[in-house]
Amino acid sequence: MSLYVAAFGFGLVSMSVIAIAAVGFTMQFGITNMINLAYGEVMISSAYVAYYLNRAGISIWIGMIGGALFGAVFSFLLNRILYAPFQRKGTAPIGMVIVSLAVSLMIANLLLPIVGYYNVSYQNSTGDVLRAGSIVLTTYQIGIIGVAIVLMLLVHSLLRYTRLGKAMRATAANPTLARNCGIPTQRVIDAVWLITGALCGMAGVVAAMNSDSFAIANGAAFLITILAAAVLGGAGQPYGAMIGAVLIGLITEFSAAAWSPQYKEVVAFGILVLVMVLRPQGLLAKRGAMAAAG
Amino acid sequence: MNSFYAANLLVYAGVDIIACLALNLQFGVSGIVNFSFIVFQAVGAYTAAVLSMPPDTAFGYDFQFYFGGYHLAFPLPWIGGAIAGGLLAIPVGFVVLRKLRSDYQAIALLVLSVIANTVITNADKFLNGAAGLALVPAPLSDQFDPNSNGYQFFYVGLTAVCVVVVLVLSSRLVDSPYGRSLRAMREREAAAIAIGKNPVQLKMTVFIVGGVIAGLSGAVLVGFIQFWAPSVWLYPETIILFAAIIVGGRGNNVGAILGALLVPVGFEEVTRLLTNASIGLPPGVIPAMEWVAIGLLIIGFLWFRPDGVRPEQRHVFEDAPMLGDE
Repeated sequence: MSLYVAAFGFGLVSMSVIAIAAVGFTMQFGITNMINLAYGEVMISSAYVAYYLNRAGISIWIGMIGGALFGAVFSFLLNRILYAPFQRKGTAPIGMVIVSLAVSLMIANLLLPIVGYYNVSYQNSTGDVLRAGSIVLTTYQIGIIGVAIVLMLLVHSLLRYTRLGKAMRATAANPTLARNCGIPTQRVIDAVWLITGALCGMAGVVAAMNSDSFAIANGAAFLITILAAAVLGGAGQPYGAMIGAVLIGLITEFSAAAWSPQYKEVVAFGILVLVMVLRPQGLLAKRGAMAAAG
Repeated sequence: MNSFYAANLLVYAGVDIIACLALNLQFGVSGIVNFSFIVFQAVGAYTAAVLSMPPDTAFGYDFQFYFGGYHLAFPLPWIGGAIAGGLLAIPVGFVVLRKLRSDYQAIALLVLSVIANTVITNADKFLNGAAGLALVPAPLSDQFDPNSNGYQFFYVGLTAVCVVVVLVLSSRLVDSPYGRSLRAMREREAAAIAIGKNPVQLKMTVFIVGGVIAGLSGAVLVGFIQFWAPSVWLYPETIILFAAIIVGGRGNNVGAILGALLVPVGFEEVTRLLTNASIGLPPGVIPAMEWVAIGLLIIGFLWFRPDGVRPEQRHVFEDAPMLGDE
């Protein structure tokens, strides 16, 4: 039993990591209609930025901000230089998926000669161990949970209470109508890429902090878990992604306790398949897998 | 340039052509973005391997663990590989192709590809895990010496026969009324439904046919390289084939063949030449740059020449009434 209580503790950390990543991913899709398969690679690049900052003696929490800045700028440029021109050209969503997959391949392989093939890990990124019953977490893991809660509250306030958030929701619902109402959709989309890119960068750093070590190859595994959470919650739905993250985080950690940690992504994939068969539109869907393409 | 090298090049070219023809049926003609194509090739290869290998308790094979080991005579392993590819397509198609819109289909298939590789890598008693299957017998190796020059060219001949069979089959399919239905579905699914075509059925059929051909390509390849492991069917391998189709020209078999010769075969050769020239780079840089080049090729072609080197011909009836331009 205590094994499962401990797994619940790890589940809290996992869901925090997944939530940060999945909310960014799903907002990119919901607002800009772009399934960005390079998301996992941007995460891992940001994790490496934080790694080099960390190695230069900077605290990992500051490194996280460095990672977030890098993720924001990188995602913004990716959209400005590549995705947006293709979308303006009228490339179908499926063409955009192929483009983003090609980008993901390119990022991973451009990074390889720079950072090397070996697994690396942050220095002093665990902190003291705290125990509450069977739950054993490090102070840094509690820090990750805290960061996730703050970020989720920020995303919530952004979408609910700010003009920018309202403009984002309008752009997501109907970009043409939003433009006709005087919303500068171009600038809104730029803002979306900056904000989601920052979430992506932070997610990369916390994901790397939460695993013992990381390498380029982890990008694909990150992406699968994120896709599972985003699709489970209803793609394009930030609140859905949060719920998806909670479920995927808990289920994968429980399965790791009951079965084998090697199969975490397999379990996430199983959930993804079940959702696609039973409820393709996701849990909270207004526009999900069932909506018309385009 | 010795004969082993020539045979090697020709067999790889043949396998890539078979694979590209299959992917062209799915992606080029029907618009199904099958990001797990390589899994179907892998299933064909694994099936052909366990059908042709002796049991894993046999002398010389007892260092690896795998199920089966039926020691069947050629051509049964190849047929088995092709059937396995088709059988796998049924459940996958059932989950992916029925309800999901096309970009979700692509993602689901991509994820399937990554996960299938993870599972086979970790399940080390099933198909020998990450180490993979070695010493897969070459077809008819009990009657000929697989290391002789003659056998190498015999294998090229076998591959060529498969290429011709697949090419005839897919040309018939592409040019048939059925192929017209597939293209109609690709161009505008709602219009195809309106004239009474069932897109799910069309997609399922072409998914299974493509799976069979992919399985065959895997069987041909594994008989030649005599080895199969998770590291040779990672998901980026599918992207190379997509690059081939995009470069060659979507929706026509000539384009698919052209793409197969330009991208997978061409890149293999360039990498070999560069590695031979050994220009003082650390190991691994050239393969990494090869992947970057594949990505650039896809993006470049999609931007500058989305129809590829040889665009699909417009299909028009000779006696069709003139309706002006579209």
